[in-house]
Amino acid sequence: MLRHLFTLIWNRKRANLLLISEIFFSFVVLFGVGAVLITTAKNYLAPHGFNYEQVWRLHVRAGQGQKMPRAELDDVLRQVKALPGVRTVALTSGNVPFVFNTNNSVFGYKGKKSPVTNVYDADDHYAETMQMPLREGRWFQSADDGSNHRPVVISQDLRQSLFGNGPALGKIFTWDTPDPNPKAQDEFLVTGVVDPVRMESDFSAPIPSVWLRLLPYDTTHWETANVLVRVAPGAGGVLQEKIARTVAGVTRQWTTEVRVMNDDRLHRRMYTLVPVVGLSIIGLFLIINVALGLFGVLWYNISQRRAEIGLRRAMGATGAGIGWQFLGEMMVVTTFGVVLGILLAVQFPLLNAFDLPVQPYLLAIAAAAGAVYGITALCAWQPSRLAAAIQPAVALREE
Amino acid sequence: MTSAPPVLRLTNIEKIYQTKTIETVALNSVNLTVNRGEFVSIMGPSGCGKSTLLSLMGLLDEPTSGTIEVDGRAVTSYSDKELAGLRNLKIGFVFQSYHLINDLSVVDNVELPLLYRRGMGSKERRQRAIAALDKVGLSARTGHFPSQLSGGQRQRVAIARALAGGPEIILADEPTGNLDSVMGEEIIELLLELNREQGVTIVMVTHDLQQALKTQRVVRFFDGSQVG
Ligand SMILES: Nc1ncnc2c1ncn2[C@@H]1O[C@H](COP(=O)(O)OP(=O)(O)O)[C@@H](O)[C@H]1O
Ligand SMILES: [Mg+2]
Repeated sequence: MLRHLFTLIWNRKRANLLLISEIFFSFVVLFGVGAVLITTAKNYLAPHGFNYEQVWRLHVRAGQGQKMPRAELDDVLRQVKALPGVRTVALTSGNVPFVFNTNNSVFGYKGKKSPVTNVYDADDHYAETMQMPLREGRWFQSADDGSNHRPVVISQDLRQSLFGNGPALGKIFTWDTPDPNPKAQDEFLVTGVVDPVRMESDFSAPIPSVWLRLLPYDTTHWETANVLVRVAPGAGGVLQEKIARTVAGVTRQWTTEVRVMNDDRLHRRMYTLVPVVGLSIIGLFLIINVALGLFGVLWYNISQRRAEIGLRRAMGATGAGIGWQFLGEMMVVTTFGVVLGILLAVQFPLLNAFDLPVQPYLLAIAAAAGAVYGITALCAWQPSRLAAAIQPAVALREE
Repeated sequence: MTSAPPVLRLTNIEKIYQTKTIETVALNSVNLTVNRGEFVSIMGPSGCGKSTLLSLMGLLDEPTSGTIEVDGRAVTSYSDKELAGLRNLKIGFVFQSYHLINDLSVVDNVELPLLYRRGMGSKERRQRAIAALDKVGLSARTGHFPSQLSGGQRQRVAIARALAGGPEIILADEPTGNLDSVMGEEIIELLLELNREQGVTIVMVTHDLQQALKTQRVVRFFDGSQVG
């Protein structure tokens, strides 16, 4: 019977072309939406690699045209840290988590090139403040003061790309296109490795990252400083005000803004959620449209095929058999559309179109195929029952 | 032969079509027996219930009252599935407008009744279909499509389809109604030959007295009742 249905659909391919292309189209839309949703969900479920709870960021400004001597900055850090309710304090660059500020570069090690890597400045307390566990080695510390190179900590994904499975600790790497006479601070000595981190948003993928140890003279030309503060649970507005007053107390020109990292996160996630939800709604509408069209076409087909149904019943088909036949035909038509769709969809992982892992694509293909079969089965259900109910005697009347 | 039950026996058949507004008595106390090997023609004006009679004989519809026996067994209270099985095994249909499936080749069309037969492999289906086409003289046209055939050839394909399942009886509703007289003549000759040489039992509805007179028995209807 299946072969019969294939023959029938194949011979009717011109008439079924519209249906097949609608199904192909739906498949592609569902695949696209599915790939986005699956990738987003997969990222969402992955750990961030740090703990954003109870972390505040201070944006300290020295004032118009003013610089920040390190001594004064250290004074600020010390005094803020001394406040009750403050656990740890760390100095970092402006590309703190969940804000639109990135700083990236490409690194090289013995002819190997890293992917685009996020570069962060960090002081010795950064890992403790961000609660980033070390996989290998240690965070840099005052014992590194005498180092001839710049101590750095790298993320696991950067480690893989530069050092593979070989040892990484104690290795020295450079910018991808190093200076012919490199300065000591441009040679990076690996002291530790951390888990992959996702600092952009809840929905972003991990990006290879490196933390460069801030050297004392780094800050002398700064006009602003970014400070991460880990606070005790329950700390709130009162402490925020205290911090602002403390900063102002050190030098009267300096001001600070206190932001809660979790608020930054919630704010940032709208930038993904809004387009993803929008895309899903548009996809949903398209699919509903296609489903209604499908339903109409099937309904019409069955009214066109009353004589054939009567004939088949006269030849010995049961009512239920006719219903299954129509459902089966729809599944065969769907298969043609889905196979075409899969041929297109597999090009994405094959050609590595968006530099994404293969697995979400395969999942999206499976999900889209499942959904398309589900939708067509649903649309074919009622018309098939209608077909099953057509009386066998119509063959003698539809002359 | 005389001890064998008739292929079909209709007793006191009444068929009333009930619609919202009117009630149509399509058949009224019809009694008809068709014996094995017979060729019966049914005549009567349009609307007198001939197609209704054929649909009852073909187990496509149920009478309002009365009994239908196939091979001596009453089919009252048979399920949809059992009726479908009986139609498939015992009955072949030929229609005025052929009812070929245009998107299937000639041989695929002829295989159709065999598709609904349990446990028959595709090879045997194909063999039987080709043998049936051979009987109607169309074995050279197996790969053609209905649109490539003349009306007479299409009706011969339909007859091959009715034959393919090896039925006990062929029911033909005005099989020459859409054909010109030459092609109609061909079809009647084919049916007569199948009846004579292969012993196929046939009931045929016709408007043509010349055709009817060539068959063994003519049953006349008027307004739902037998008149001869
Ligand atoms: N499904 C039906 N519903 C209502 N009336 C019907 C139906 N089928 C046939 N009839 C009526 O029954 C009568 C006999 O019809 P039919 O058997 O087709 O006649 P014939 O084949 O002799 O022309 C006609 O009056 C026709 O209108
Ligand atoms: Mg009629």
